[in-house]
Amino acid sequence: MTAVATNKDTGKPAGKGAPGRLGRAVRDHAGVPVMAALGLLGFWLFPEDLGLMTRILATALYVLSLDLVLGYCGIATLGQAAMFGTGAYAAGIAAVHLVSDPLVLLAVGGVAGGLIALVTGALILHAHGLTLLMLTIAVVQIVQEVANKARDWTGGSDGLSGIDPSPVLGLFRFDLYGRTSYLFALAVLLVMFLVARRIVRSPFGLACRGVKEDPLRVQALGGSPRRYLVGMYAIAGVFAGVAGALTAVSTGIVGLDSVSFTWSAEALVMLVLGGTGRLYGAVIGTVAFMAIHHILAASDPFHWMLFIGLFLMGVVLFLPGGIASLGERLSGLLSRSPSRTAEGDRP
Amino acid sequence: MTPRLQVRGLSKNFGGLQVSSDIDMDLLPGDRCALIGPNGAGKTTFVNLVTGVIPPTAGTIRLDGEDITGLSAQARVRRGLIRSFQVARLFRAMTVREHLELAVLEREGRTFRLFASVRRVPGLEEEVASVLDIMGLEAVAGTRVGALAYGQQRLLEIALALAMKPKVLILDEPAAGVPHSESQRILDAVDRLPADLAVLMIEHDMDLVFRFAKKIVVLAQGRLLCSGTAREITADPRVREVYLGSRANAHRPS
Repeated sequence: MTAVATNKDTGKPAGKGAPGRLGRAVRDHAGVPVMAALGLLGFWLFPEDLGLMTRILATALYVLSLDLVLGYCGIATLGQAAMFGTGAYAAGIAAVHLVSDPLVLLAVGGVAGGLIALVTGALILHAHGLTLLMLTIAVVQIVQEVANKARDWTGGSDGLSGIDPSPVLGLFRFDLYGRTSYLFALAVLLVMFLVARRIVRSPFGLACRGVKEDPLRVQALGGSPRRYLVGMYAIAGVFAGVAGALTAVSTGIVGLDSVSFTWSAEALVMLVLGGTGRLYGAVIGTVAFMAIHHILAASDPFHWMLFIGLFLMGVVLFLPGGIASLGERLSGLLSRSPSRTAEGDRP
Repeated sequence: MTPRLQVRGLSKNFGGLQVSSDIDMDLLPGDRCALIGPNGAGKTTFVNLVTGVIPPTAGTIRLDGEDITGLSAQARVRRGLIRSFQVARLFRAMTVREHLELAVLEREGRTFRLFASVRRVPGLEEEVASVLDIMGLEAVAGTRVGALAYGQQRLLEIALALAMKPKVLILDEPAAGVPHSESQRILDAVDRLPADLAVLMIEHDMDLVFRFAKKIVVLAQGRLLCSGTAREITADPRVREVYLGSRANAHRPS
């Protein structure tokens, strides 16, 4: 009887912890190299589709920024495009009037995205739930209207064009086939992914996760939940701004749709598809959504949205943690079966 | 000796309703005090006033001699006035270790470090390990709180309080929801708190109160009825009247 009790007390958490730790170790050290390898593989396999794939990489960075806000702080937002678009326009305007160095342009986009997130976040993050959701939509609509009205700077509904970045580091010229664009975008995504991972594992990231679970408990520990929320919202704004700037640099054009409600909602769909609160879920979801979109839109231009909808419903119903949770579930099943046989005599 | 917590003339009115009136209380370093009273006596209001959740109508609260009456709840926490919750309020998706890490990091004001790894904050691992050891929670350190037994969640509440290095600790029904047979484990954990800490426990279970407290304060209808040792309290006719009276009239809405 006592043996059973100790087995229950110590054996169970250990059994649960071991595969988790192994899985985490694999993810820690293999995740980014695998992403880099797949990115380079795509470069060799689909040389005709580099334009699309560059857009996917920039979008993945944008969806990653949403994961920081939604997955790690629990802020429900439909306004992430405000930061993306602000970054894109800031980089675009800077490219037309001031500088042409692509890295400087990314920095300009990041600062612009971070600033607008800091200002609007400080204004709206006292609200919760549905109210907050409405406010985020209001922000993205306002930013879009400002971009629409400021024709002299943004080109209004015609879009902003004439973005002609100089070679990366003065060495790699942006070529007609989009090779440089693609590799540049891949490098930026990987670096930003590592930075994001660093942030979510920092004391700050831990505090944000606490706020997501129970803001009042964080307060009882002496923290101020709102400061964490505004802080992470601004950081995510930097990420979204860099993603916007990356899109502007690689496509050479910025349109009003980059600050639209639709673009915000699409990011949410991609994130939910991939899985929230995991970072790499954002990348998986973006690749899945945009690849399916591309294939379906080419084969059935009228009904592709229907299939995307069905696919999303399937994932939400049968894989609530998103595509990224598939691997965890499989490894969970594999590691559980031997421990189950070992504990087989328990009941 | 300066009292750790000194409450003078604390009152709270909600409109015309007086829920706390003119309460005085002193907690000295090392005090193990219990606050009891029938339902509706104003115990929760008193805790909320002291911890700064609601502002008092009149009266002062001092922590180690410093007037904290006008300070926010968070500022009081940062000065060492800590409470635990009656219903376990924990972060369900986070592990036991992560809870304690967050508590220590908050206490030291290190939560705005963006690029430092939690695992590499100097001294953090050792401190968390020592709290886990004191509270006997090492075996479940890596377990998510959502998967933890309720009694262990209550232990974690006390462990969190310990990690915050309080001067005054208010335990709001620390054994609520725990089977009677296991409440001793909670009391054992409370016993392992630092000796110079002042602890105020709000509790219904008289058995637990008598085992824990050296001093008992009785609250009734928002007023301080009496205070003293367990023997003095049980012998006091007014206490009997309050408890028996409220029980005899239990069917009446009050």
